[in-house]
Amino acid sequence: MGVPFEALIPYAVCLGMFGFSGAALSKIRHMQNGGKRARHSVDQWDRQMMDRDRRLTGFLRGQTDMVKAPAGFEVSNPWRLERAFT
Amino acid sequence: MSARQPRFNQHLLIDTTPLPSSIPPVPEIGSSSAPLLSASYFIGARCKPYNDDFMQCKTAANGTGEVDCLKEGRKVTRCAAGVLEDVNKSCLEEFRKHWSCLDDNNQQLWQCRRWERPLNACVFEKLNIEKKIPGAPENETPVHLRKRQIFAHSITTQ
Repeated sequence: MGVPFEALIPYAVCLGMFGFSGAALSKIRHMQNGGKRARHSVDQWDRQMMDRDRRLTGFLRGQTDMVKAPAGFEVSNPWRLERAFT
Repeated sequence: MSARQPRFNQHLLIDTTPLPSSIPPVPEIGSSSAPLLSASYFIGARCKPYNDDFMQCKTAANGTGEVDCLKEGRKVTRCAAGVLEDVNKSCLEEFRKHWSCLDDNNQQLWQCRRWERPLNACVFEKLNIEKKIPGAPENETPVHLRKRQIFAHSITTQ
């Protein structure tokens, strides 16, 4: 008596659907992060460093290993303002 | 003055006035986060006195450190720029492979030991800088020299 494979087809369909959506979401995240894996567990230090990378390269995940910063880098860190509540 | 993090901080102000000319200009470091993390132990090994000076100045200044410790900060920047330039000149390929791996792996050093070992060997041979983890217990192998990295995702990149 062989394996009743017709009964297992629905499981294969479910697995395939989950796999396809997982792969599609992963591909979207990959493209959003400039061809790299997404960052996770990002804390304030990492946010600050990614902000600095954006000021240096223009992209949040851009990396460069120049020794000297481009002109205007020293003054490009913005002050964060908030409205005064009276 | 800046006692708390600003809330509702969507408004940004970019102030382009340069520093006064009495402060000697030092070019800022142009490396982003992954190369800096990759070179951090080499910068630490070579620039330890300047970094310690700067940190002592900041803790002693008690709030005014941003303005009072500019001189020590300039020394730190110049030293780090020197180390980065040396690494770029002598070990560029291994350096680039290592920081590209770090960038792909959430800046976690233990995922990229496979590319860190040739980088450490090249830097030790050409620049005579050894990576040491400060504060590591003496009687165990340091984490970066262990054969098996227990939290790494895959066995091929350990």
